[in-house]
Amino acid sequence: MKKSIFAALTVLMFFSCKEHPKSWQLSQMLEIEGVNPIGITHRADGIWLSDGDHHRIVRIDENGEITETIDSLDRPMHIATNGDELLIPQYGNDEVLRWKENVVKIIAISDSLDAPAGVWRDGKETVIADFYHHRILYSEDGVDWKSFGSEGTENGQFNYPTDVQLLGDEIWVADAYNNRVQVFDKSGTFLKKFGEAEKMNASTGIYVSKEQLFVTDFENNRVLIYDHEGVLQQELSENIEKPTDMILVDGKLYVANYKNNRVNIYDWKEDLNPKKSKNKEVNN
Amino acid sequence: MKYTIITLLAFFCMTTTMVAQEGTDQYEIQVDGLGCPFCAYGLEKKFKEFDGIKNVAIEIETGDFTFTLPSEANLSMEAVEAQVVKAGYTPITTKITRADGTIESSETTTMIADNATLTDKNISVAGKCEMCKARIEKAAKGIPGVAEAVWSVEEKTLMVSYDANNVTPQTIEKAVAGVGHDTQNVKALASTYENLPACCKYERLEQ
Repeated sequence: MKKSIFAALTVLMFFSCKEHPKSWQLSQMLEIEGVNPIGITHRADGIWLSDGDHHRIVRIDENGEITETIDSLDRPMHIATNGDELLIPQYGNDEVLRWKENVVKIIAISDSLDAPAGVWRDGKETVIADFYHHRILYSEDGVDWKSFGSEGTENGQFNYPTDVQLLGDEIWVADAYNNRVQVFDKSGTFLKKFGEAEKMNASTGIYVSKEQLFVTDFENNRVLIYDHEGVLQQELSENIEKPTDMILVDGKLYVANYKNNRVNIYDWKEDLNPKKSKNKEVNN
Repeated sequence: MKYTIITLLAFFCMTTTMVAQEGTDQYEIQVDGLGCPFCAYGLEKKFKEFDGIKNVAIEIETGDFTFTLPSEANLSMEAVEAQVVKAGYTPITTKITRADGTIESSETTTMIADNATLTDKNISVAGKCEMCKARIEKAAKGIPGVAEAVWSVEEKTLMVSYDANNVTPQTIEKAVAGVGHDTQNVKALASTYENLPACCKYERLEQ
């Protein structure tokens, strides 16, 4: 009898201790009064949002209060940081700014831009999404530029690219109105694509971590999360309205919502009510 | 004497300001549902080509686009609408209030006979977004005899209410296909489809 009870308790303990799979779970929503965020980035002094509707970028604190404003910009879009420098693509006047404590440099490109929508800079390496030219500009040293892409739907072509990111040897691009993400090497050679199976409608923003790809599906009010092989891992839609950008900071996922003036914050933790896994996308 | 000069100067400045305000034309355009900030800012960017443009405001949800221009620009209704088209969008209505109070408007009214009996019908129409919705509804409402046209983004269905003595569903479908949207029986021309804004590129229907 004793043995039976002991065995039953052991089994019970085994199941109760079994780890649940982890996923991103909404933990907090910051109301950012008067801001329609488009881009989001992080610097040592906090989270920065671009507010294109109001021609400014703002820094917010942990409660969503605005603590600093850089204004008089011309439609700033997908901002980024490089150390203590803010990178600000200005869609309205075709300039990309490097902003560091009131010292402003303009990234000089002889081949002029038409509505830069996204930028990423790592050291001197810089990449820009040139919206109306349907192309990506890449520079290894921030001086000499090469571009790739043209308007179209084939691999390596774009339909209004809106966001970019460098990660290792790769350039990741939000190919917004082809409703997908494309990945290239630094010579501009197409490597793979994501998202077509999910029927996205305007994939306007991306963030790539070492393990995951986060994509905003703007018109469908959701964020899709893939692994680097294109397997859909999670779909976030609760309290998301017109999402535009994301970033990971200290293990938390921040999602900027253009429409509802909010930044949603997610924790990576055990999911006690895991949903069925999503479809798998085959790359290449 | 000093006070008199200051008063006169102040009056002169006020008068100049008033003249400057009076010397502007107000433009109000409803564009076919700008879906996202990229579209809205793009439209604004294309209008920056006009010297002296000020007070630019865009409501993304409604597609209301307003701005002012100095009267001497004398921008015509056709030129404004051409610029909207150049930016890749479709003007629905345009209203210009000139500095002298004259109003020019492209708004039209629906022509339905008083004693008309209206018929309701749902038609499958392909599309994707609010911009599609505005374009589809404008095409249908532009037909004499159509009293109402509402397209559902979710259902991809156009609900029309029309005078069956003056218009047929086929006419409505042809008009909608004519602006680039496949219907259940009529396919849009490939060239028209290709000219749709990027965010409106829906999956083609098989007829």
